Amino acid sequence: MNPDCQKTIPKIINDASVIMFYLDLKGNISMCNKKAEEMLNRSREELSGKNMLDILYPDASALIKLQMFKAVLDDSVTYKRSSIFEGTIRDSAKIEHVISWNITPMLDESSVLEGILLLGNDVTLLKEREASVKKIDDTLRNILSSIKEYALYAANLEGNITYYGMGFESMFGWQKSEIVFKHVGLLHTFDDVTHKLPFILEQVRSLGQYELEIYLVKKNGESFPVKLSVSQFLDADAKPVGYIFIAKDITEEKKLEYQIFQSEKMSAVGKLAAGMAHEINNPLFVISGTLEMLFENKKLGKELRKKLTTIDNQAERIRKLVDRFLAFARKTSPNQENLDINKIIKNVLPLLSYHKMPSHKIRIVKEFAKKLSLVKGDAHQLQEVFINLFINACQAMPEGGKLSIKTSGSSGEFAQINITDTGSGITAENLKNLFLPFFSTKNEGTGLGLSICYNIIKNHHGTIEVESQIGKGTTFIIRIPFIKDTPR
Amino acid sequence: MSSKILVVDDEAPVRDMFKELLKKQGYQVFTVATGEEALEAVAKEDFDAVLLDVKLTGISGLETLKIIKERKPELIVIMITGFGYDDELVTKSNEYGCSGYIGKNADISQIIHCFKCFIKEAKEKNNK
Repeated sequence: MNPDCQKTIPKIINDASVIMFYLDLKGNISMCNKKAEEMLNRSREELSGKNMLDILYPDASALIKLQMFKAVLDDSVTYKRSSIFEGTIRDSAKIEHVISWNITPMLDESSVLEGILLLGNDVTLLKEREASVKKIDDTLRNILSSIKEYALYAANLEGNITYYGMGFESMFGWQKSEIVFKHVGLLHTFDDVTHKLPFILEQVRSLGQYELEIYLVKKNGESFPVKLSVSQFLDADAKPVGYIFIAKDITEEKKLEYQIFQSEKMSAVGKLAAGMAHEINNPLFVISGTLEMLFENKKLGKELRKKLTTIDNQAERIRKLVDRFLAFARKTSPNQENLDINKIIKNVLPLLSYHKMPSHKIRIVKEFAKKLSLVKGDAHQLQEVFINLFINACQAMPEGGKLSIKTSGSSGEFAQINITDTGSGITAENLKNLFLPFFSTKNEGTGLGLSICYNIIKNHHGTIEVESQIGKGTTFIIRIPFIKDTPR
Repeated sequence: MSSKILVVDDEAPVRDMFKELLKKQGYQVFTVATGEEALEAVAKEDFDAVLLDVKLTGISGLETLKIIKERKPELIVIMITGFGYDDELVTKSNEYGCSGYIGKNADISQIIHCFKCFIKEAKEKNNK
């Protein structure tokens, strides 16, 4: 070591940009450096003998000062180590400075405390910067947490969830403690985890961002459609550290889209049906008329009459089919009577036994809303809907089962009728086509029943939906708007 | 003297069938294929009733009905259609003054029955 260093140390200390005080055991200043003088704008002669606590805590009471001094000192002395604390001092211009103090007990050769070294760094600017960063951070956090329609979450490069906003819990049903640091694959369907999700992340890594419509999974296992936007999560140096996901629940949009699609499809098919019916009716009229005249011929032989009767029967069959066509395509607006849905269903139920079905093995459970507001509509048409759905439900349960009929009006806007069977259920593929004319999974029937139901309910400004689970059963949900301004 | 009926339909077999069916009922039947021909026939001849198809080539059945009723308000016109019951068609037809509306999808005896009823009704109305 340079032998001159003993001489240089006092100079170094004096010129250092660190504030330095040396205190006696009462806390009185016995020495300080240039920086300390500058900071307080007082000469070391003026400062000498002043109690440091008066400088550190000019507004505190004597007792508190003593306690604070003791607390800081005790810790350092007891453990013979330096400790750090932060304090505010006012300079000569009364401007406050935040100082980070390092307090070190000075011991003599026999380890007896002889003084206290206080080194201080002015961290005012640093503190201000920290505060403003925290403020931005808090604001950002508040903004992100307030977004409820969207679920915003982030994952690290391994795909583990590291952060999420408020909307996340309500969208997925997961609580923070359950999901943080779990893999993001937990939110995807089983099939997607192996193929689609890796593909999405791959796209994000190469393109920076990727957007798609996808089904995500809630905690309860229910899947739902979302618009998912995934971007790269970059740190301050623009280095990718993870992924940011923004998911928007589009269940309602999808439903609406499907309804519009369905209704356009039905109207196109309706036009086709009407046109076809018309084209068939003309020749059929001629055939029937010709037969009518032939039958009037008294000289007609027995054999010939029998054959003509067969033609007549088959023509009749075509006529009935065309009638169903026309019923489907009919643009008849429903009669506008005030109707009690409960009454209509009660009137229909006795008809069930007239149809060929294993109704003896089927238990009918009725649950009618006590006071159901009236709806406007056509009793005959609605009866047709209910009888159709009841028969379908019964036919879905050839081995017997339970047919539940429930009416409710809790929403205040619609009379809702749930018709549930415990039958074999409908496959997702068949569900899509269920309301299409001529779609039938039964050996008998025209496949027009449900399409007619659909049109009738639509003409009543209502909706008809179906939910089905294979092996468990099917529920048809009909909603028809209440007449406004009737007491509920 | 038997009542004179004009049948208007663009399909010959349908025209012929109506002709034959109505002849059997004792009517004197004339047929034309278009609205234009119908208007001409109505101008020249006095008919007791016109059986008019809704769907025609050229001017439509509804348009033909409207013009006939404007020119001869007393003339009984009955609409026939291969389409089923259609609110819009029925409303329009009534508005233009038709005396009845028959679907070709009904069976023959029904069609004849309706036809007779409509004519009877309209005649009673005209006599009032």
